[in-house]
Amino acid sequence: MAEENQNEKSLEEKLAECESRRDEYLAGWQRAKADFINYKKDELKRLEEISRYGTEDLIIDLIGVLDNFDLGISIMEKVGPLEKGIYMIRAQFEDVLKRKGLERVNAKIGKPLDPSIAEAISDIESEEPPGTVVEEIEPGYRLYDKIVRPVRVRVARGSDK
Amino acid sequence: MPKIIGIDLGTTNSAIAVTEGGEPRILENTEGNRTTPSIVAMNKTGERLVGLLAKRQAITNPKNTIFSVKRLIGRKFADPEIQKDKQWLPYEIKASASGGIEIKMSDRWYTPEEISAMILSKLKADAEAKLGEKVTEAVITVPAYFDDAQRQATKNAGEVAGLTVKRIINEPTAAALAYGLNKKTSEKIVVYDFGGGTFDVSVLEVGDDTVEVKATGGDTRLGGDDFDKRINEYLVAEYKKQEGIDISKDPLALQRLKEAAERAKHELSTALETEINLPYVTSDSSGPKHFLMKLSRAKLEDLVKDYVAKSIALVKETVTAAAPKGAGFNLSDINEIVMVGGQTRMPAIQEAVKKLFGKDPHQGINPDEVVAIGAAVQAGILQGDVKDILLLDVTPLTFSIETLGSVATPMIPKNTTVPTSKSQIFSTAADNQTSVEVHVLQGERPMASDNRTLGNFILDGIPPSPRGVPQVEVTFDIDASGILNVSAKDKGSGKTQSIRIEATTSLSKDEIERLKKEAEQHAADDAKRREIIEARNQAESLIYLAEKSLKDAEGKVSDEIKKSVEEKVEALKKVKDADVIDEIKSATANLSSEVQKIGQTMYNKDQSSANPNPAEEPKSS
Repeated sequence: MAEENQNEKSLEEKLAECESRRDEYLAGWQRAKADFINYKKDELKRLEEISRYGTEDLIIDLIGVLDNFDLGISIMEKVGPLEKGIYMIRAQFEDVLKRKGLERVNAKIGKPLDPSIAEAISDIESEEPPGTVVEEIEPGYRLYDKIVRPVRVRVARGSDK
Repeated sequence: MPKIIGIDLGTTNSAIAVTEGGEPRILENTEGNRTTPSIVAMNKTGERLVGLLAKRQAITNPKNTIFSVKRLIGRKFADPEIQKDKQWLPYEIKASASGGIEIKMSDRWYTPEEISAMILSKLKADAEAKLGEKVTEAVITVPAYFDDAQRQATKNAGEVAGLTVKRIINEPTAAALAYGLNKKTSEKIVVYDFGGGTFDVSVLEVGDDTVEVKATGGDTRLGGDDFDKRINEYLVAEYKKQEGIDISKDPLALQRLKEAAERAKHELSTALETEINLPYVTSDSSGPKHFLMKLSRAKLEDLVKDYVAKSIALVKETVTAAAPKGAGFNLSDINEIVMVGGQTRMPAIQEAVKKLFGKDPHQGINPDEVVAIGAAVQAGILQGDVKDILLLDVTPLTFSIETLGSVATPMIPKNTTVPTSKSQIFSTAADNQTSVEVHVLQGERPMASDNRTLGNFILDGIPPSPRGVPQVEVTFDIDASGILNVSAKDKGSGKTQSIRIEATTSLSKDEIERLKKEAEQHAADDAKRREIIEARNQAESLIYLAEKSLKDAEGKVSDEIKKSVEEKVEALKKVKDADVIDEIKSATANLSSEVQKIGQTMYNKDQSSANPNPAEEPKSS
């Protein structure tokens, strides 16, 4: 009788051990599966980001070329009217970049500096309240949701400088 | 399980990283960047800005834009260093009641801890946004020379930001961790950290599970920014010489030049020469002026050679000087060198360090991110990844099957995480072949005989058919404990046969290494042998095809073509077993063009022909 009890007890213990192991393994399995599903989701998001921002470096370099093109146009305009084709080429250039998700960002003159889109590169004496955007020096650009270059502005000088 | 993030709280820039699935990775901030400027500002409307946004408005709001707070944290106002810093910091600082420091931002006084906490809060929020879950615990790095007060203050800053700081670790230790150097025993490591604003050198000694800082040195006023400044000054001076115009007074021109100089510096890490090209940079009475100048790597190195030399002298002193100034080691005692900080990308610096120690420094990990990565590695150890109870092994060597010509065709490549399985269809090598031998191998060599045999079995009962027609599916399955099950199934008859191999991992570590080395040593010879076998297999295939075509076309092609094909077949048969690959190839090409004539004739007679083209076949038994 005592032996039987003993046996039963050890069987129960074994069962309990097996059950706890099963729970542990099931949890681990579920976690691994969830990890994998999440990983796949993350990877998909990452791939999306790569396809969106993979060309970011190239686009930033091209923005520099576009800036210089604009500088050239504005200086030539001072001398006299330009051939229409030049403007067409410029528009074409900007169009190509637009199709890749690039958008021009302009300064909000007369408004306080918004550092989420603008960078102040100098300040000048002005009638405006200090910190107000007075002049756009270089346009900014947004690639999808990311400001790849802030718009460069001059702001009104503060009295506390 | 909540994640612990690793934070590199830098003087100029900070970075965050996390360990997931055993791998550390950098987390991007909400602006999409991998580093965040360590800058806090209060704008005119009382809005608090942190990071890039604070940096963008710095010039218009210098009194309320707080940077380099790391230089102030945990220090006494009376410290001579602080008194020196006070001279050039554009914001106001004063002594606190307890002799510490207070910083004025807008109309309030803050402690350095509070300012650091604002940076940490942003990093925490960015990490939460990226991970999609709450973050409450962190590992934060500090320079090895930080004293207890500075460490405690950094920890307090973390707590203020709502983070439980699980550990404060030294930046050089983190860098060593990122490279896994903590696993070595009794090694001496030098960490050469050239950041944007500071230069630090640390000597570490790794014991059993401990990393001890033996000495630290450096210059808190020397950094990559000095390099940029030097290049800028040079370019401005050169331009003045060439054009007679001083562009240092024009903010836009200067901004463009600064960016171009920085880009040039980066480019010269890989290129020997770069061009700085800034059209319409300014103008004078004669019209627009452009900036076009070539900058060579040699010139750049010449411009900053004193900085590089200074850093090397500091390294030497920190390693060799007697304690407490240095570690009291010989330069030759150093086992490993780790490079940290963006400026270490400069080849001249890498060369100088290499020359000093006579060995290559570690530099596989992005030097701007290596400290944060190391902090995440430490965090990973502390969070004790779930994976620990479920250790997944990898196959140390490749498992393959022997195919036609004694080639070992890989089924499961080395370093594959197990459990895993892989199936592939094979076929027969000869007509009416009714059995195939499945020979299971382990090793990296391309020829079966050079690898280790794990087992073999024969699958028979394949219905007689031309070569290449039967489909035999071979499946390799390795379970989590490394037991390999190989089965073969003839899809036609449904017959299966299998073998269970238990001792797949019975090789010792040394043996595995030896086999890998052997594979490397023989790589060239093996490739050549494999090429010959492949050419021979192709030749045999073609001979089979040619003979079959002749038989099929019996009486339909001219004797002339028949004779010519037969001759070419004989020629190929003669050379195919010799090891002269060019002869096999040219004889194969000759036969191939001759065989086509059979096809042409057949087509002309409006007949179709089949094209059995067996790909890979297990060798016939």
